[in-house]
Amino acid sequence: MSSCDPSLLPLSLEDRLSDAQEEFLTAHLSQCERCQRELEHLAGQPQVWSRVSTALKTACAGSGEAIFTDESHTTEESESAADFAVEFLSPSTDTESIGRLGDIEILEVIGHGGMGIVLKGFQPELKRLVAVKVLAPQLAVSAAARRRFAREAQATAAILHPNVMPILTVHSTGKLPYLVMPYVQCESLQQRIDRTGPLELVDILRIGMQTANGLAAAHAQGLVHRDVKPANILLEIGVERVMLTDFGLARAIDDASITRTGIIAGTPQYMSPEQARGEPVDSRSDLFSLGSVLYTLATGRPPFRAESTYAILRRLTDESPHPLREIAPQYPAWLGVLIHKLLEKQPSDRWTSSTEVAQLLEQCVAHIQQPAVFPLPAACQVAKPKWWRFSAARAGVAVVVALSLAMGMMFLPPLLRKNSRLEPTMATTPAPAPPPSESGGRQPPESPTPPTAPTTEWNHGEESLARLRKDLDSWTRDAQQLWKTPK
Amino acid sequence: MRTPETRHSLIVRLKDQRNELAWAEFVCAYEPFLVRLVRRQGTPDRHIPDITQQLLIAIARSVNGWSSDGRDASFRRWLGRVARNVVIKFMTREKKQITGQGGSDFLQLIELTSDDTPDEARSQQYEHELILWAAELVRSEFRDTSWRAFWTTQVEGRAVADVARELGVTSGSIYMSRSRIFARIRAKISEVLDDSEQQS
Ligand SMILES: [Zn+2]
Repeated sequence: MSSCDPSLLPLSLEDRLSDAQEEFLTAHLSQCERCQRELEHLAGQPQVWSRVSTALKTACAGSGEAIFTDESHTTEESESAADFAVEFLSPSTDTESIGRLGDIEILEVIGHGGMGIVLKGFQPELKRLVAVKVLAPQLAVSAAARRRFAREAQATAAILHPNVMPILTVHSTGKLPYLVMPYVQCESLQQRIDRTGPLELVDILRIGMQTANGLAAAHAQGLVHRDVKPANILLEIGVERVMLTDFGLARAIDDASITRTGIIAGTPQYMSPEQARGEPVDSRSDLFSLGSVLYTLATGRPPFRAESTYAILRRLTDESPHPLREIAPQYPAWLGVLIHKLLEKQPSDRWTSSTEVAQLLEQCVAHIQQPAVFPLPAACQVAKPKWWRFSAARAGVAVVVALSLAMGMMFLPPLLRKNSRLEPTMATTPAPAPPPSESGGRQPPESPTPPTAPTTEWNHGEESLARLRKDLDSWTRDAQQLWKTPK
Repeated sequence: MRTPETRHSLIVRLKDQRNELAWAEFVCAYEPFLVRLVRRQGTPDRHIPDITQQLLIAIARSVNGWSSDGRDASFRRWLGRVARNVVIKFMTREKKQITGQGGSDFLQLIELTSDDTPDEARSQQYEHELILWAAELVRSEFRDTSWRAFWTTQVEGRAVADVARELGVTSGSIYMSRSRIFARIRAKISEVLDDSEQQS
């Protein structure tokens, strides 16, 4: 049996363990009765445990309330399509049709979402297939939800951009408000990553670029999406086109239902910290969510995960995401720089606009396709000392310096390694000392680590050395790349 | 959790800004509970918002009578007590009196000071309502498997090993999930109820 680590128990209660710690403790708890007891005791006094259990037991037995059992949770959501059709659609003479909605023959139900139901329809007069999104009946009773639904839908309808799913019409007066969109054969980015796992670098960049372009079109009109996540990013089948959908809708409705019940519907994994705190948001909130999406595309999992939504919200506001390159070392270091800057807690520390992000991503695509012709955008470059950038011809020298640096580090006395960041260490080597950091601009800090890496993590000699080695490796690879560049 | 939609119509003016903030936070946390409680008391749907509002107003009015006892977080503790008393008084009303007439009569009925001490049975019923409310909230925060691990072992009292086999998880993860859920329920309750009272 593994040995007890009592310091993990309070962290576990708050759902703040790292993946490795979680794995260790789960295995340990399976065997260690002492830690089982200790954990339960930390969670609450035995009499409180029993009071809660008793209350729940009586509530269930007494009034036959089903609120805490699984059935209750699923029945409301998976409302039967047949009931829905009977309730909401008018009968149709067309045999193909399950009913009529305005001028649309409804052919089938294609999906349920948190917000409502999605139908496939046909408009005979215009001879076109459409997708109809109907607000869920339980939400339609809230006047605020209806108003926001209509307002956001109308705002979205005004955005005409290839990367935004167009809204053809908005009906907000009927029993249930609904919107009409073109019917496009597509899969969501969520379905895609579920199917394939992490994506290729070029796909991450292209999808990111198009999403950022779609966002830019919205932001230009003062509209914030508020729910950028893989499920809302659609990939048109057969065409390399990305379309953003569900502008503000889902989240606007969530807000309405939070106020009613205090319950958050769906996962907050892609929320920005300011959203998680319930503060007003602007376009930079979407940039954070875009960062989370790109992180997910590269690693196969969102940057902030936990067992409960509450713990996710807290991680969003309090914790730095795990450095991308440690999870996905196969990607170049600059991808980490680009994404981590989107994931800054402070909106003012992120890239400034979706337009800027789209441009950067476009330049990155060009760069990886033709590195000789298109340099990596300066803002994405993993910062190196100025002397380094001076000329490509020095790259070879620099590789030697970098390597000797790495060697030198290994022999540094432990005292010196402790608390060391790269810069001070470099001063102890024969290499030219780096100049003070460049003024202004959006240059990341003059350090080869992603700018988000918290300083405190450098306090352990061994760990810091390992990271330094890793960074030097990538640095060296970049340099070799540079060296190979034909003139 | 605060949201942009949160209603701040019940603004109170207090000498200490921190207390005003504490009040705003309290309203955010407490209102969903009130809505649920008012519904469970058999109030017709159309009167629920009104009654909830009346209860909040009654609590807000009592806020004026507050003075610090010099102890930490005394405003917050006091607020929790006033709210409890207002709600308990509301729960003891005859059903026919809460059909949403509202108005000043209603306010007088439920308005009271923190000195009123409700009887033990009513206090327990209040605590019971709070537990149900908190559990319902927390249930929505967790995955189904986690909740079932908690429910079947803790409430239904089944053996951890059996449930683990059934859910296809390790027993360690059941201990972990259920203590997390329990800690969250407790935290949720203490947002509106003073910790010391809850544990007493
Ligand atoms: Zn142990």
